[in-house]
Amino acid sequence: MPMTNTPKDEMPKPGMPSGALPMLILRVLQSSSLHGYAIAQRIHILSSEVLGVEEGLLYPTLQKMLVKGWVTAEWGISETNRKVRFYRLTPDGRKHLKAELSDYDRVTQAIQDILRTA
Amino acid sequence: MGELFRRIRYLINRRRFDRELESDMEFHREMAARAGRSNFGNTLRMREQSREAWGWTWLDRLIQDLRYGVRILARSPGFTIMAVLVLAIGIGINVSAFSLFDMVALKPLPVRDPDSLVRLERRSPTNYTSEMPYPSVLFYGEHAKSLSAVMAVLGVPGMQVDDDVQTASTTFVTPNYFTELGTPAGLGRLLDPERDGSVSNAPAVVLSWGFWQRRYGGDPSVVGRVIHLNKKSVTIVGITPYAFASLGGQHPDLFLPIAQQPYFIEGSNVLTGAGSSDVRMWGRLAPGVSAKAAEQELRALTNELRRQHPKDIWDNEYIQSSPGGHLQVMQPEMYQVAAMVATLTLLILAVACANLGGLLLARAVTREREIGIRVAIGANRARIFRQLCTESLLLAMLGALAGLGLGYVVVRVALAQLDAPKWLTADPDWRVLVFTFAVALASAIFFGLAPALQIARQRQRKTMVRQILVGAQVAASCVLLIVAGLLVRATQHALYTDPGFGYQQVMSIDSQLRQHGYAPAAARAYLDQLQNRLRSVPGVKSVSLVMLPPMGHAVDRETSEINGRTVTIYPNWIDPGFFETMRIPILLGRTFYPGEKNAIIVSQSFARQQWPGQNPVGQRMTDQDTKPLVVGVVGDARINALNDDDATEQYFPAQPDDMPEMVVMARTAGDPAPVPAIVKSISETLDPRLFPEIRPLQALYLDSVSGIEKAASVVSLIGLVAVLLAGVGIIGLVAFTVSQRTKEIAIRIALGAKRAQVLASVLHQFTWPVAIGLIAGAGIAGAASKVLRKALYGVSNFDPAGYALAIGVLMAIVGLAALLPARRALRLDLAKTLHYE
Repeated sequence: MPMTNTPKDEMPKPGMPSGALPMLILRVLQSSSLHGYAIAQRIHILSSEVLGVEEGLLYPTLQKMLVKGWVTAEWGISETNRKVRFYRLTPDGRKHLKAELSDYDRVTQAIQDILRTA
Repeated sequence: MGELFRRIRYLINRRRFDRELESDMEFHREMAARAGRSNFGNTLRMREQSREAWGWTWLDRLIQDLRYGVRILARSPGFTIMAVLVLAIGIGINVSAFSLFDMVALKPLPVRDPDSLVRLERRSPTNYTSEMPYPSVLFYGEHAKSLSAVMAVLGVPGMQVDDDVQTASTTFVTPNYFTELGTPAGLGRLLDPERDGSVSNAPAVVLSWGFWQRRYGGDPSVVGRVIHLNKKSVTIVGITPYAFASLGGQHPDLFLPIAQQPYFIEGSNVLTGAGSSDVRMWGRLAPGVSAKAAEQELRALTNELRRQHPKDIWDNEYIQSSPGGHLQVMQPEMYQVAAMVATLTLLILAVACANLGGLLLARAVTREREIGIRVAIGANRARIFRQLCTESLLLAMLGALAGLGLGYVVVRVALAQLDAPKWLTADPDWRVLVFTFAVALASAIFFGLAPALQIARQRQRKTMVRQILVGAQVAASCVLLIVAGLLVRATQHALYTDPGFGYQQVMSIDSQLRQHGYAPAAARAYLDQLQNRLRSVPGVKSVSLVMLPPMGHAVDRETSEINGRTVTIYPNWIDPGFFETMRIPILLGRTFYPGEKNAIIVSQSFARQQWPGQNPVGQRMTDQDTKPLVVGVVGDARINALNDDDATEQYFPAQPDDMPEMVVMARTAGDPAPVPAIVKSISETLDPRLFPEIRPLQALYLDSVSGIEKAASVVSLIGLVAVLLAGVGIIGLVAFTVSQRTKEIAIRIALGAKRAQVLASVLHQFTWPVAIGLIAGAGIAGAASKVLRKALYGVSNFDPAGYALAIGVLMAIVGLAALLPARRALRLDLAKTLHYE
């Protein structure tokens, strides 16, 4: 299993729920196209460094999303002047994101209801 | 759908996609390194997982397995060649048999719209004939809306071309024959309805390509030439094409328009006579009409016909249609024979597969190390099993290719031997290819599955599989040996057994009096004169008359119920001297008196059925209208039913009205060769319009037998090959078993056990499989021989000698196969064996 980036002075981070990554990637791509590294950074930063994306999970997931047609990859120039592929959300991807978000909301609500009542 | 396209795009551009992914990850690694994080993770694993997302891993694995399989097979060329050879024989035989069946029954004729062609025959619950009167054909053609066209084909005895000695086979056809089939002319033109439809048209003849080559050397100037057939002038208008496809597989030398039949055969009333069945009828179904619907309409029309001509139509007669668009019009018995042949060839495949399974099993031992290593480094068993299956499939496909090649060669030889129509080729069509693929798949499963399972499970006890393999080989070989033995005995029976009549020196002389319009009195006069003249020819010993000559063109057959059993009766009409001419023994009573009426003579087997234990002479046949008196019993003589062992005969005295139908039989002593010419000259002086057909029975008899001979020898050869295969396979398996337990045998002998006893215990595991195999084999062979009986005579259901011989031979082979390797074990050098690890 690939190792997560765990600097020695930090506590082990909680793991990301396994089905969440595609949804997070789609959300992150909603505002702009990004290359792979930028996606990982974005998620890490926006989560206040709680969630780290393992590279071993990121790229296979991106491939699966390419297969499903939720994203496409286009060549562009990075901020370091290097040719790299930028991933862009497709209309299908937007649709899927909306569906995922509403599902997630429902499930989270349900879990919270249970936790509250107990 | 879009997903599928994306996946396919990936497959095509795989390398590019992989490179792009690599560059992405490379970039990511760079950026991460810059930020100080150097742990990127396992790149290889990542790439593998990414690739998996596209869903083509199964293809990759398959290619990998195939590559590996090829390497393994190449590493042991001896085994591979042996295996492919065994498979080639097993699959090849099946492919050959199926190809031939395909040609005969499945391939559509290369004519216009073959699926709508039908063959129409008269049938009733008790009667059956393959021909019908020409006026009936016209009647049906005119009134049947379900048929868009009808055709009639009339075969006649060979005609003399100009002054040739050899006659040319001739057929009269309706003028729409070639136009309906859509046949293009090879040269000149073919018959058509406008120019050849009426007797007032100029007589035209179409030659077959083969006849044109043989007789005229392919000279194109014959078109338009006037020739003489049976002394009548006719113009050659054209030649049929080289690859001509005719209805029913007939290939006459000459085609004449049926309207001209009275011109060539003077006095003939074939075209107008409603009472005699002469022509073969074919039809084309109207578009959208099914055969069943056509049969219904024809049945109604037949009823109408019976009202018009009540004497000529049987009770409950109907017209039966069979698909006419293939080489052969298939009868139900043919399907049975085909099924039996299929079973035999599949059995051979079973022997080959069992053989191969044994080979694989033996080889498994040498691969134990390899597989053990793979399991140790983490391959899961399913993967290994899949890879072994792929190897088997690879072998099977190689075997299938070789089998296709072998099948092609066999079919080519067969086509040449059987003088097949030229439009048939040995090239496999899609049906044959699909069949080959299916057979290869089936054999891969059969020979590959069990050993693969065993190997993948790494079980040490492979006894069960070995026993099954031996049992299967023994059973299959048993069936093949027994059937081959039965066929060989049938051939002997065919060649050396008396069919009940003397065919050696007898010839039939058919003057076709009825077809030339002879009235009964004139026919009587002609026949008397002909017979008297013949009797005065030196060398002619006996002359008589019969209506349905032996091995003639027409056969009359009835079925009847006697004491609850179905009996097949072949009736015939004769004059008193018939039995003497044909050398059929009179067992009880006497032959007919000249001019006797209302009498009957029956064959021995009929007498036994109808009056068991009594003397039939003097009794009356109560189930016939006129209740004839039985005056004699003669020996069985299968003159018209060589293949039917259950046939019985009834003979009636020929009456004056029958005379135009009668055929002269003449028995000669000494060299029969000059007699036909003498007969011809006698006939010419009596009536030059007649061209009698003279057929020596011996040639006909040998002809009918030679076909059986050829088939039997082929089957015997195949049976032998299969048995040899089985023998080799059993030797291999036993040797393998013994070699596995060499150490154990050595120890036991060293401890004092008798060598023979030790061997017996090692071979004990095979006694049950062999016994079961023999019993199963004998049982299956018994069932197969039932079907064989229909196709051959001389094959009896339970021929104990044949069965015993086959089982004996097989046990000898099995015993030999077991003992040969065992002998090596018996002569073990104990010390060396025990020392060797």
